[in-house]
Amino acid sequence: MRIVYHLIVLYLTVHFLWYLAREKKFWKQAGIVLVLIMFLLRLFLVE
Amino acid sequence: MTGTETMSLNRFVRAALLFALTVLVCVLSGREFLSMRAADAIYPSPGLTAARALSDYFPALKGTPGDTPVYVYAGPKDGGNVLVIGGAHPNEPAGFVTAVVLAENIRAVRGKVVIVPRANASGFTHSDPQEGSPQRFPIATASGERWFRLGSRVTNPIHQWPDPTIYVTPTGQTLAGIEARNLNRAYPGKAGGNLTEKVAYGIMELIKKERIDLGIDLHESAPEYPVINAIVFHENSADLAATAQMELQAEGFEFRLEASPPNLRGLSHREWGDAAGIRAILMETPNASHGRLKGKPSIGLIIDGKDKFYEKAARLGRLFVPFGPDGIPLRDRVARHLAGLRAILAGLTELDPGKAVEVEDLPTADRVRVEGIGAFLR
Repeated sequence: MRIVYHLIVLYLTVHFLWYLAREKKFWKQAGIVLVLIMFLLRLFLVE
Repeated sequence: MTGTETMSLNRFVRAALLFALTVLVCVLSGREFLSMRAADAIYPSPGLTAARALSDYFPALKGTPGDTPVYVYAGPKDGGNVLVIGGAHPNEPAGFVTAVVLAENIRAVRGKVVIVPRANASGFTHSDPQEGSPQRFPIATASGERWFRLGSRVTNPIHQWPDPTIYVTPTGQTLAGIEARNLNRAYPGKAGGNLTEKVAYGIMELIKKERIDLGIDLHESAPEYPVINAIVFHENSADLAATAQMELQAEGFEFRLEASPPNLRGLSHREWGDAAGIRAILMETPNASHGRLKGKPSIGLIIDGKDKFYEKAARLGRLFVPFGPDGIPLRDRVARHLAGLRAILAGLTELDPGKAVEVEDLPTADRVRVEGIGAFLR
């Protein structure tokens, strides 16, 4: 189960990174970063 | 370079800078988050005769977040065997601090004392959500400040997830789903159950293998909760609880006696008696820091126990303990637990001399109140 959870989080994290690079407006990029922090923490810290 | 290319480059540079900032925030907050998983150091007294782990009694716990240290103090003379549990609820500091004070001071003369200071080790690795509680609190000692984790009442959801809608205890009582992570609802545990039930099962195995005669579970409760400043006892320990209460009254400590309800299952004072047949007692002291009427949570509230909202609640007659401007400091709550332990051990010696347990260097309540807890920590 844990690997499935991590794969889902990784999939969404990659999407957020893609949107971060693609987005033109600064405030939208900043908004993406706020969500990205949670996903990176989940990806690396949740056992 | 065209204007569109410059804009595109700016966008990528901005994204890279924001990503670097994200990584920095993750590293800083991640370090603090991971530090919660580090167990507080405990320095057992020279009276320690064996340092074990709960997994030595129930090997399925080995390598899991439920494994926890067990300290054994065996005396040279034969007597009874007593188990003292702290940290079944890691948001009740007087319970686990008292167990640490015991572990760092006592020497058994007769019988055996087994101490589990961090019974729900997983509960110490996180904080209760949406409470804003401090992660740690300090106690000043001769060798500097010792910091203790303030954990959660229940097992970390990272270690046991998801909660069921309704939790059915190992003895068949239905409770709210979150209680599936409450160690003091999980007794007598299940060998193949969830992590919390495995920890409870491990403690039952310890009780069997160490031939425990009396179990004492150290807790705290909110000042608005009626079971407070109390000795909760299994019916097989009514005489012991009453004897201890009389001794405590003679010393100036008011303790309520609360009989363990036979239909309230899963608690230590019920299942230790029913399933293991040992005498079982639970003690409660008043802790404003986990009550519902408190103001801002802070380290001061844990240590000094002062809170103006509880003062007002006391004036309005809403509390079950006196609560004045001086609050109820941790020092007094630990002193109360120590006085209770001393009275219970004296009562056991009086009622059942063959099961007597005598210890030396058990700090007295008066000394803890005057000199502070730190004077009895290494």
